[in-house]
Amino acid sequence: MSERPAERRITLERIESYAPERSVRIEELGEHLGLRRGDLGVFRKFYGLDRLRYDPQLPLLDLLRPAARAALAALPDDGHVEYLAYAHVTQAVAPADTDMAQVVRDDLGLTGAEAFGLSHQACVSSLGAIEILGNLLRAEGREGAHALMVTGEQAYSPIVQLVPNTAIMADAAASCLLTLDGEGDIVRSFTTRTLGEYARWLELTPEQSTEYGEQYAARIAEVIHQALEEAGLTFEDVDLVIPHNVNKLAWRQTVKELGIDQDKVFLDNVPVYSHTFAADVFLNYTTLRDTGRLTDGAHYLLVSVGLGATFGAMVITHRTPGGSR
Amino acid sequence: MNRQDVLITIEKALSEVLERPITGLTEDTALFDDLRLDSSSVLGLLMTVEEATGIAVDPDDLDIDHLRTMRSFADYVEAALRREEGTS
Repeated sequence: MSERPAERRITLERIESYAPERSVRIEELGEHLGLRRGDLGVFRKFYGLDRLRYDPQLPLLDLLRPAARAALAALPDDGHVEYLAYAHVTQAVAPADTDMAQVVRDDLGLTGAEAFGLSHQACVSSLGAIEILGNLLRAEGREGAHALMVTGEQAYSPIVQLVPNTAIMADAAASCLLTLDGEGDIVRSFTTRTLGEYARWLELTPEQSTEYGEQYAARIAEVIHQALEEAGLTFEDVDLVIPHNVNKLAWRQTVKELGIDQDKVFLDNVPVYSHTFAADVFLNYTTLRDTGRLTDGAHYLLVSVGLGATFGAMVITHRTPGGSR
Repeated sequence: MNRQDVLITIEKALSEVLERPITGLTEDTALFDDLRLDSSSVLGLLMTVEEATGIAVDPDDLDIDHLRTMRSFADYVEAALRREEGTS
């Protein structure tokens, strides 16, 4: 992106998140997920999990609506939403005859917006949607055009909720209103790498799983370095990595691979929310912003990994309304 | 707990985690290569050894080198036991 200075920059005008109030300890899910006491001990001690939000009674639309509405509230009077992307991980989030992107669009009253879903980058889909929406705005956007990224889903079945030896998925949602050359956070670069040999998600052979695990940290480091290079920055320029909440062990290994301090990666939400599909990085962003931990003008790395397997890193520069830059 | 006790404790923990009897290991036995322990079962091993010995594994200090062989793992457990004695 930085090599094409004439290109209009994607700006993130408002990011919001939502998680159901119902919070459970991972041990409460042991029987449901078929996890033994020792397995849960590993998740707690080594993976750093504790509680997560889980509310099977909550309709999906009610999960998605609060963050979407809150992000949409930042739409200026002379702006309009041209595109809505619903980024999800599980392909079948709703019955086959229900297009959740269109359901959300109609619920928000965005009748003029083109709405579509995307999921092929799994937990990187939300970051990928930002780039796709930005490109659509560049290609076709009219004056005042904005786009809304909506993400979030529910761990509605044990098959969806448990990623063996890796993560326990949880409920949450997030939304991002974006435009081009606006006042919000600037997207400086976005890099992904997809390793198609792991396309079978949870049905990898034991050898493939081992091989994937062994290179996980190195592949994350690779996309991070590439995203930094494209942004014309180095790690010293970055205030904080805002990661996905897969587990603390994976990030400890990545921290070693990167040769950085562990406190440079925000992991406080791992024991609070666990891995909320593609919503993690945006959920973590709102936690940091709402506790005053994002600095005006500072650079941040949003990083996620999706089964399948896609590694993604985005460099943004935070801007607070009325900031000094 | 002497060295022999530590080795026996590790063998018992390995039997539990790998769900097959593990005996007669030497200090040179490689946990990953010889026993086919993987990255997830190794965590179960640590949990089981923690429970059996009362040591507390600090995930932040853990290095894969501690788990390469029976010798390195027994060294790690003994060092942890000494720390526990020193603090209790």
